[in-house]
Amino acid sequence: MTAAPAAPAEPEDLNALDDEAFRLHVRRWIEANYPPELRHPPKRLHWKDNKVWYFKLAEKGWLCPGWPKEHGGMGLSPSKQIIFTEELERWGCTRTNDHGIVLLGPLIINYGTEEQKRFFLPKILSGEHIWCQGYSEPNAGSDLASLRTEAVEDGDHYVVNGQKIWTTLAMDANWIFLLVRTDKQAKKQEGISFLLVPMDTPGITVKPIINLELHDEFCEVFFDNVRVPKKNLVGRINKGWDMAKALLGFERIYLGSPRQSAYALKGLRALAEHTGAWEEPEFQDRYARLRLDLEDLKAFYGVYVAKLRRGETLGPDVSMLKIYQTELFQRITDAMLEIAGENAGLLGPIEGNRDLNPTGLYIQARPATIYGGSNEIQRNIVAKNVLGLPG
Amino acid sequence: MSEALAGTEAERAESIRMIRDSAAAVAPRGGDTRRVRALRFKDPGFDPAVLREMGALGWIGLRAPEAAGGAGLGMGEMCALAEELGAGLAPEPLIPSVLSATLLAAAEDRAALPRLLAGETYMPTAWQERPDTLEVPGSPDAPRRFIPQAAGAGGFLLPVREGGRIALYVLDAAGADLAIERTQDGGNYGTLRPALGEARRVADDVGAVLARALDEAALATAAYLLGVMERSFDLALNYLRTRQQFGRVIGSFQALQHRAADLRIQLGLTRASVESAAAALDAGAEGAVRRAAVSRAKARAAEASLLVTRQVIQLHGGIGYTDEYDAGLYLRKAMVLANQFGSAALHRRRFMKDAPEGAEE
Repeated sequence: MTAAPAAPAEPEDLNALDDEAFRLHVRRWIEANYPPELRHPPKRLHWKDNKVWYFKLAEKGWLCPGWPKEHGGMGLSPSKQIIFTEELERWGCTRTNDHGIVLLGPLIINYGTEEQKRFFLPKILSGEHIWCQGYSEPNAGSDLASLRTEAVEDGDHYVVNGQKIWTTLAMDANWIFLLVRTDKQAKKQEGISFLLVPMDTPGITVKPIINLELHDEFCEVFFDNVRVPKKNLVGRINKGWDMAKALLGFERIYLGSPRQSAYALKGLRALAEHTGAWEEPEFQDRYARLRLDLEDLKAFYGVYVAKLRRGETLGPDVSMLKIYQTELFQRITDAMLEIAGENAGLLGPIEGNRDLNPTGLYIQARPATIYGGSNEIQRNIVAKNVLGLPG
Repeated sequence: MSEALAGTEAERAESIRMIRDSAAAVAPRGGDTRRVRALRFKDPGFDPAVLREMGALGWIGLRAPEAAGGAGLGMGEMCALAEELGAGLAPEPLIPSVLSATLLAAAEDRAALPRLLAGETYMPTAWQERPDTLEVPGSPDAPRRFIPQAAGAGGFLLPVREGGRIALYVLDAAGADLAIERTQDGGNYGTLRPALGEARRVADDVGAVLARALDEAALATAAYLLGVMERSFDLALNYLRTRQQFGRVIGSFQALQHRAADLRIQLGLTRASVESAAAALDAGAEGAVRRAAVSRAKARAAEASLLVTRQVIQLHGGIGYTDEYDAGLYLRKAMVLANQFGSAALHRRRFMKDAPEGAEE
């Protein structure tokens, strides 16, 4: 191994770099600083295992690419943010416990009081507050607006009762942001508010759920007369739904990033060469189709990246990327399983080789069409909001 | 790179917009299909006056260098134009004419080129000897097949192998041994038995030019198919929004909404594929990278256009199966063009051979 090149001076304004220079600058730093043992983690890592990366990014000042500089973020333009994310994905970097960074921080910056900004934002940047997101409920999944966890006023407090589910990494978090019902009489979208709650408040119980990866990534979170100070309300009472929806903004393009499918296709090729399927014309045609689907997805994704670069906001049509990417990811892993022979039953990788992991990827691909708005919901969005078909 | 391609992104976008506008004059998007229907199933299968109009607009010489009397524009413009013609189902053989213009311009032939560029003489290139191929054997006596709209040809270009090279001949249509077959879209294919004794030799070697021109024709055909599928899909959307059954418009049914969403995704992929391929060619992609970009777009357009046009029939129900309704026109056009200049399967095989290793990265 050659010595790492001397670190180039950090440019004053990363936005002023052209895209390729910016990409290389980010790439060089990631490759020099990312813990090698954490590349391409087979499962989403818990805080105890990913915090080393969280703190490295924090120390560099690169934890919050989308936040404005005045709040401690990088202040990157949307197109630079895309490149930043692409580079993290390219190197197989782990996601951190990033709900504070990606979701809560921007919400507080846009809708929070000055006091909330001063209190919460620095604690996300320092890693003191680790956030989780309390949106879904057992009876409010795709139909999120029908959520029933309620907050009732009691003096200076709200009293919260109810249950959240699919709360990612709730066991690692010390704070949770919640959508709660504060007006049962109003139309369902109009009686929802946004509350911030410390996880050590009495009355909160966290129960991990073991998913198909045999991983405790999700939790149920129960609220039994949980008292939350009124100052922890963000924005106006009963206006939480619009704020939460506005946040979905351009982040939705990430669910359509071709990286996941590209990684899987490399795995399919390695597996096919291992099993000998690579030599069969029938497999070659199947592989060619998948590869062309991936190439066209990249071109399609490029259309949206170009829109961001021109400063346009993305419309509901970006849902098409999510649908196609996640289903392509699944089709690739379907092919893996079909050519794997008896290895399709293995709990772990073939011969312990992490690059030959058909069953791991097959399982990992299952929730892709469910999370972030199921693909059925995404198709409803395309039909109604892109094609103008009636509700 | 020609001067016309050296402009800024904004100048290119403007040039492409102007091409689209001028196309609307000849093939109005969503315009009525009476003209197209009137030309179906009889010779020559297109309107020679409209082909002359296309020539006068500079479309046949769109790709030919300015020194040869062309416009020297890029594949971005060519694809935009072809897409508009596809949306209007224009039967005039523009893409074969552009292919021939590229060859004659390379041959620096001053006798036949002006009439071809003006659209006064339709002069397709008779290069193909078997189905589903982009190879040009150039056999001196083998029948040349699948010549588009040959019933309206005033002459033919004949590539002929001479040693290691592909020479080019011009053959007059009068007296040529030509058989005509009707095609699904109302046009025709010709089979020509070449008579080299009657032909005029105009170039020593057009092998490399022809291979590149065939790729450009394949990409332009993909763009034409994009227009076909877009317009076909519009028909279905209008129908879903207005047709009532069970007391509601059928577009409110989720099964149909989801099918429409999937077709819209295929349209998005096809457009991204075609436009990124055209941009790659205009940026100077060469060799295997150029071929792979073309194959990617043609494979997508071929498969997606067949999918969309047949699903559009299904979304309409019985009315979609009548000849009176336009859905069938788009279906038949896709049937003819999906495999012209290479089927999806051919282009997938070629892509796997040509696409650079590690392109997934």
